[in-house]
Formats: sequence, C-alpha cells, structure tokens
Amino acid sequence: MAERDAEEATMSHQAPERSSIPSGDNTVWADISPLLDAACKELGDGEMIHGENFNLFAAMSALEIMDPKMDSGIVSKYCSLDEAIEDGAAPVPLSHDKTIDVQSIIDIMDHLLACEATWHSGHSLAQTVFSCIYLLRLDRTSSHAILHSYCRVIRATCKAVVSVVSDARTHEEEDLFSMTYGLPLDGDGDEKCLSFLNAVEETICRQLRACKAPSSKKRVLEDIEPLQHNLDLEEGFCKALLCRLRFRKHFFHTLACMRRPQGRGFEMARKHIASCILELESILKSAEFLRFGVCGTCKDGIEGKTTASGHTPIGFDASLNSRSAAPTPPRAIKILSWKRAVEYFVKLLHDLDVICSYSLDPSLEGVLRFVVQFQKSKPDLVARAHLQVLLVQDGKLYGRYPIFAVITKASALPEFTKNHDIQKSECFMQLGQLVINMLKILCTNAAWQRRKLGKILQDWRVIYVQLELALRNEVGEVSSNMDDEKMSVKILRHVLNWVEEQTYWIASRFLMLGFELDLYSPSEYCMVYWYLYVVLIKLAEKTHFRMAVSNEPIKRKGKKKKDSLKEVAKESRVHPAILFLQCHMCLAEGLTMMLAALRNDLMVLQSQNPFNTEQERFLQHFELLQKACIPDHISYPSFKESTSYARLSTLVMYNYFKDAQRIAKEIKSSFSNDPEKLAELRRIEQVAEHNGIALNVISRVGALDPSLKV
Amino acid sequence: MAGGGACCGRGGGGSEDSIIWAKSPSQPSTSFAFGLCLVLTSNKIKKRHPKSRSLLAARLGSELKETMEQEEGEARMHKVEFDPSEIEYVSYGGEHHLPLIMNLVDQELSEPYSIFTYRYFVYLWPHLSFLAFHKGKCVGTVVCKMGEHRSTFRGYIAMLVVIKPYRGRGIATELVTRSIKVMMESGCEEVTLEAEVTNKGALALYGRLGFIRAKRLFRYYLNGVDAFRLKLLFPCPEIHPSLSMMADKVESHGHHDHIAPEECPEHHHIS
Repeated sequence: MAERDAEEATMSHQAPERSSIPSGDNTVWADISPLLDAACKELGDGEMIHGENFNLFAAMSALEIMDPKMDSGIVSKYCSLDEAIEDGAAPVPLSHDKTIDVQSIIDIMDHLLACEATWHSGHSLAQTVFSCIYLLRLDRTSSHAILHSYCRVIRATCKAVVSVVSDARTHEEEDLFSMTYGLPLDGDGDEKCLSFLNAVEETICRQLRACKAPSSKKRVLEDIEPLQHNLDLEEGFCKALLCRLRFRKHFFHTLACMRRPQGRGFEMARKHIASCILELESILKSAEFLRFGVCGTCKDGIEGKTTASGHTPIGFDASLNSRSAAPTPPRAIKILSWKRAVEYFVKLLHDLDVICSYSLDPSLEGVLRFVVQFQKSKPDLVARAHLQVLLVQDGKLYGRYPIFAVITKASALPEFTKNHDIQKSECFMQLGQLVINMLKILCTNAAWQRRKLGKILQDWRVIYVQLELALRNEVGEVSSNMDDEKMSVKILRHVLNWVEEQTYWIASRFLMLGFELDLYSPSEYCMVYWYLYVVLIKLAEKTHFRMAVSNEPIKRKGKKKKDSLKEVAKESRVHPAILFLQCHMCLAEGLTMMLAALRNDLMVLQSQNPFNTEQERFLQHFELLQKACIPDHISYPSFKESTSYARLSTLVMYNYFKDAQRIAKEIKSSFSNDPEKLAELRRIEQVAEHNGIALNVISRVGALDPSLKV
Repeated sequence: MAGGGACCGRGGGGSEDSIIWAKSPSQPSTSFAFGLCLVLTSNKIKKRHPKSRSLLAARLGSELKETMEQEEGEARMHKVEFDPSEIEYVSYGGEHHLPLIMNLVDQELSEPYSIFTYRYFVYLWPHLSFLAFHKGKCVGTVVCKMGEHRSTFRGYIAMLVVIKPYRGRGIATELVTRSIKVMMESGCEEVTLEAEVTNKGALALYGRLGFIRAKRLFRYYLNGVDAFRLKLLFPCPEIHPSLSMMADKVESHGHHDHIAPEECPEHHHIS
C-alpha cells in the first residue's frame, strides 16, 4: 500500500504542471483513488468492468489517457494558441535588432517552404504549413510588411492548391491533403495578396540599389532606410529576400494561369514556371551567404535542416493544431529538409511545365499516350490533380470536346457522326461516363490506378454486351428513315470494336502496372508474360480492325518524298501501330517461353509451398480479368497447355527475340518524329538482344541464374 | 487491418465516451503502477474520419514492420544457439499468456497497443494465436483473427514477433504456418495481411508460404511507406464424398480437448 501511495505521489508530480481547474458553483473535486484501489483489488486477472454496449472491436480505438503515444493533448507545450502567443512563441517583430529580424524572417520563409513540400508529400496541412503561429493569427503580423505579405501569399497559395486537388476529387489514399477544418484558410482580401507582395518587393529593390550604389551617388538616390543595419550584409540579405518573394509571386501566378479553362493560360504559366525555377536557383545560391550569417562563422551540418541558414525558425509549433489535425495517433511529422523541399518544387514545376506544353491532342489515343508517358516520371498529387482537371472539365475533354465526339473519332467514324442522336441513348450516356471515369483514373497514383483499372474491366464488359444488344435491335428493326438506321448500325459496329480495343488496352495497362508496382515475384513472371501475350494478341486484332475500317488515310510521319513509294509499299501491309504491338507480343511470348523452358528443363523459378499451388496464384492475379472474360476461353489449363512443352533446345530455333528486334528495326523510320516511341523501340531492341543472348548462353551452358530484367 | 464489419458506433456506445476499468496482469512498462489501466474509449476517432479503421490499421501495420525489418542490417552478434527441436509451440491458453504476448510485442515495437487490442484478438480467436517458448522463455508469437468479409470467410494475421536473438531460424515461419493450418481447417477461404514494401523478411516469408502480392497500397503507413496486401488463397475443397469423410476423421483426431474425459482417461488432468 505504501508503495502504491509513493507511486501515486510521483504520478501527480510527473503530470504536467497546469493551472489547476477550480471547483465551480455546483461542483467539487473529490479524490476517488481509494475507491479505485478497492475496485482494483476486487477484480480478478482479466476481469473487466464495462458498460452494456461495450464491444472489443470498438475498444481497439481506446486511448490511454496521458500516454503520449496515444493522447495527443499531453504532448503539447501550450494549452492553446493564445497561451503560446502570450508566452512569446511568435513575436512581432521577430527581433528588435533589424539584422536578426531579417535573418529570422528568411528562416521562416525557408521553413514554410519545407512545410509546404511536406504537406504536398502526403501530410496534413495542420501539422505542416499551419504549424506556423504567424499564419494562425495573420492579423498580428500587419505591422511587419515582409512577414505579413509573405504569410498572405502562402495562405492564398495553399487555398488555391487545396481547391485544385479537391476538384480532382482525390480518394482515400491521398485524402489527408485536403483536410482543412479548423484552419484559417480563407482570408479577406487574399486575392490582392500579390499587390502587398509587389509593394514589399519594390521597397527591397530600392534598398538593394541603394546599397550597391557608389557612395557619391547615395545622396542623389531617395532617402531610403536600409533593410537592416549591417552594411556589409545588406546586399546579401536583400537578394536572399527578393528571390524568395519572387518565387512565391511567380508560383502563385502559375497556379492562377493553369486554372484558366481549356488550357488558355498555359503559355503564360510556362513563363512563370521558368521564372520560378530561376528564383529557386537563386534561393539555393543564397544558402552560402545565409549559413555564414551574422556571426560570420559557418554553421556546420545543415543536412536535414529546414532552413538555408541551418537555424531553427521561430514561431512554429505543430502541436497547437492537434485538435484539428488528422485523426491519427499523435506522431511528430518529419518535415522535409530545405534542400529536399527545393528539389520537390523543382520537380513539381517541371511536371507542371510538361502539362502546360501539352498540345491538347483531340484524339483519345493521343491523350492516353500522353498520360501514360507523363506518369512515367512519377508525378506527385498536385501535378496529377492539375492534369486531371485539364483533361476532364464540364464532362468534356479539355472542356472543349464532347465525349461522344471523342468516342466517334476514336472509333474511326466519319466526323459528322458526332452529331448523331444515338448519343442520347442510355448505352452511350453510360459509355461516356466510363470514358470520363477512365481518364480520371489514369491520373491517379499507380497503386490506386491499377486497382481501379482492374475493377472497371467489368463495367467495360457490361457496356459491350449492352451495345451488342443495341446493335442486334437496330439490325432487326425496320425504320422509315433508312439512312439514319444504317448510320446507327455503322456507329454501333465501330464503337463496339473500339470498346473491345479499349478494354484490352485497359487490361494490358493493368498487367504492366503490376511490374511497376513490384507485385509479381519471379516465379510468377511466366504466367504474367503469358497473360500479357494473350491480351496483346487481342489488342492487336482490334486495333488492326479499326485501322482497316478507318476512313482516314494512314498518316506517314517524317517521310522524305523520294522514299515515299517504298514506304507506301511497306505500310500498305501492316500499320506501324500494329507492328509496334507485335514487338511487344514477340517479347512477351519470348519471355513466357524462356521462363517456361527454364522451369521445365532446369527446374528453376518454381514455387512449392504447403498451402496452395500455382493454380491458386494464377486465379488470384488474374481474378478481375477472368471475371470480365478478358479474354474469353483463357484459363489456367490453357496456360499450362501453352507452356508445358517449352524447351530450351527448341526455343533457340524459334527465337522470338530475333523477331522483336527485326520488327523494331523496321518500324523505326515510321516513328522518326516521335522521340518517345523511338526511345521505347530502342529499349525493346535492347531487351530483345539481351534475352536473345541469354537464351543462347543458357541453352549451351545450362546456367541456373540468368538475369531476367524487363 | 481489413477491419471486420460495420463501425461499432452503431448501437454500441453511441456518441458518448465510456470509461472502462480493466485489470491487467502487471506489465513492467506501464506507467500506471497500481495495475489499473484508465482508458477512455472514444467514438470520436471514428466520427472525425470515416476511414479511421484504415488509419488504425495503418498504425498497427507500421508497427509490424519492426518485427522483421531488423533481421537485415542488424549485427547477428547476439544470436542464441539452439536446436529447432528445443522450441516449444503452444496455442494461446488463457490470461496467463496475455502478458507474455504483450511484453513481446511491446518490447520489439516502438509503440504499445492498448490492452484491448490484444484482448480483441486473443479473447475472440484464442485458437489462432500461438506462442513459441525456448527453455521456458517466450521468444515469439503470432496473433490472428478470422471472419466473414464481403462474403468470403477469411483469416487475418495481425501481429508476428520473434525476438532478435532468435530470428532467422524458422520460428516465425512455424508460428505462421500453425495459425494458417487452423484457419484452413476452420473453413477459411483465404488469409490476408499487410506488410511494408520495404519489409523484405516478411515478404520472403509469406512468399514462401504461397502468398501473392494482391495490391499495393500507396502511403498506407503513417510514415509514408507503401504496403502490399498479401493474400493466400486455399485450393477449393474437392466435392468428393470420400475426401470429405477423410477430412472429418482428421479433424476429430486433432481436437483431443473436445473429447469427453471418460473416453480418454489419460487426459483427465487437463488444467
């Protein structure tokens, strides 16, 4: 008992010292420790006192009060924002010494940049940018022009970014981003924030000019008070401030320009992006000056610091927002280092620049190619959201082309069909929705994208069946308007084929993304390549059909007139797009057979386990494809059948890799204007060559460990 | 965590916070020295965020990583030598096992779970949790659950820990295997769990047991790391009368404690 009392005593001393809560008129505090003690003694091990509605599953969300790992209130230094301010956590001005004041405000700017980058990377606004006390009570800063204007533009920028991301309607994995409840994101007059910033910029420009002017001219210039009192440091500080202010200005402009509908502001945006990047370079260069700072000594080890100077900024407290922070267990967020933050923004700006450079291709094929290519650089949420709101606006492509028109064009129908009444039918309305949905999905992060692509396969299959039904009805009916009926039949036939092509395209993306996301283990490569192969066959088939019924002449890219006859002869056989697919098919088939042969001959890349067989793993990986019958009549037994006779000896004779190389070489000329396609062809050639060599080596030496990189 | 059925806010606890008192076997790490754990159950965490279940799961998941991650990179200096036959595997037997499991998990992971998390699993599915002992010392544990999830009956592996000196010797594999076997026998169609994409040890272990990487979950954990959802699909039971009869026989042999004492006099003294 005595032990317990002593421990209780230490407990109350360990509890943070707070002003004690006084008893009210109708309340009085009573010590119930003896009661708890007695109750505790009565309970046996494992016994619980609980309410009737108690439920173990719900209890898992239980928080242990005063446990800092679970009780977010316990970790704060201050009870409230007011207390923090009263305690001097965010003084205005930051220092009465102007030099230190300027230094400090640059630190705040740098730390805010780091917070912003951290927020973009998936954390809550409350624990990053709005950990800044100055931002939480912006009015307090009105006497300090630089701080005030900077905070305003930060607030306005955050609001603009939240708006774009919310419009793109992000989903579970990225929903921490747009949580803004309880945060003062709306400011009166924030739209004019740039005018405040411009005024401040103007002043600092004059201060910079003044300090650079030779002393004889100083009297001629306006009598302007310097930025701070240390004349040796005036130029450095002015420049450091200017590039930071200018970056914010140009970034805000970039966002505003990009928001203009139908990409009208893109050209302007690109100019601002270029300026942003220049200012970021200047910001990086300013680091050396700032590190030496006022003391003249270099601060070591700034790796991981959130400011260029290496100092800790004043005025930040992430725990103040614990009540409006994300409802996760309280964990300190690691703010990105300042260097990493700058790198983040450089990448973001490059990604935004790619979007702004996009030619707004009206063909769906072009859109899909652009989006797939764009995603290769692994753009972050903010960039992807911008792409999505560009592509899908008001239910139209770029807010300009109605989806039905996009579909008829993609289905190789003549242009006038885009006005046909059939677009009002239920089927076509739904198909339009599917296309819009697919475009949105293609702008999301790869992991979520793949899951969604798999799910929508079923929807595409269903719409196909519905369209097929509609076609049968149209063909069966006799209408008074013969021309109109014939047109609707033609439309349906074309669209049906295109829907199948698109479905197989989605399936191929689904399978390919699995490689990117590292979802396949080496023992599963064989079945994946096999499935990819059968899907590509179907895709090529449908693409070929579309090309064959196309009314438009095949575009020839980059042809010289004297070669044109030769090229026409070649191309009249098979369209380069099909040949391109055939390259992939050869590779896929080659890899399938090689892996199968390795397994059959050398017993490698097998996976025996006590609980299931290869068949279960096949069913799991391809469940969504199988459910949607993509393709039909494909199953595990057909996979086994196709691969059980693969042998290294026979493979050397039917070398799929050589075929791939040959075709790739042939079609290079067709894509001479398309650097991305050429790059891909080169990669195909490389892969084919490596695997071809590997195959030869293995068949001769029987090595057990070839490198099988895609 | 897959998170079972509906949010328990419905009908359970309503919108009030309830205070519960529970006595736990004393834990050395507890700051509540009088052995009482004051706990406030709040439904607020669910109300604030509809995906709180996944956040809780995310939190649990981020702790799991540390069980296996340390195998790589850590010096193997403090390994204990033992013969695999010296390891005794025991199914969860009652309250006396709870502190062992809790200590093991608390010791190996950076953050403690509330005691209710443990209780949820071991109270409702005691037959799915196993402990590994070496010379009387608990060196590893696996904690699981199973239930209906969107019309599939599925098992879920919640926690897996083996203390550092005993890693790399197949104890984790044995623990997991035992649990999966029980799940299989209980009629589960599949087993699932999440693991950090960087947790090579766990991914290799489960890969060897037949799990595939069914999905990748972007930034699943609070530290921003992605996760794989791992799934093991059991083969469909054959609809063959003789085989299903055989299965029944196997089951009845495996569950001695269900046999009435008078039939098995040697088991009279089961505690």
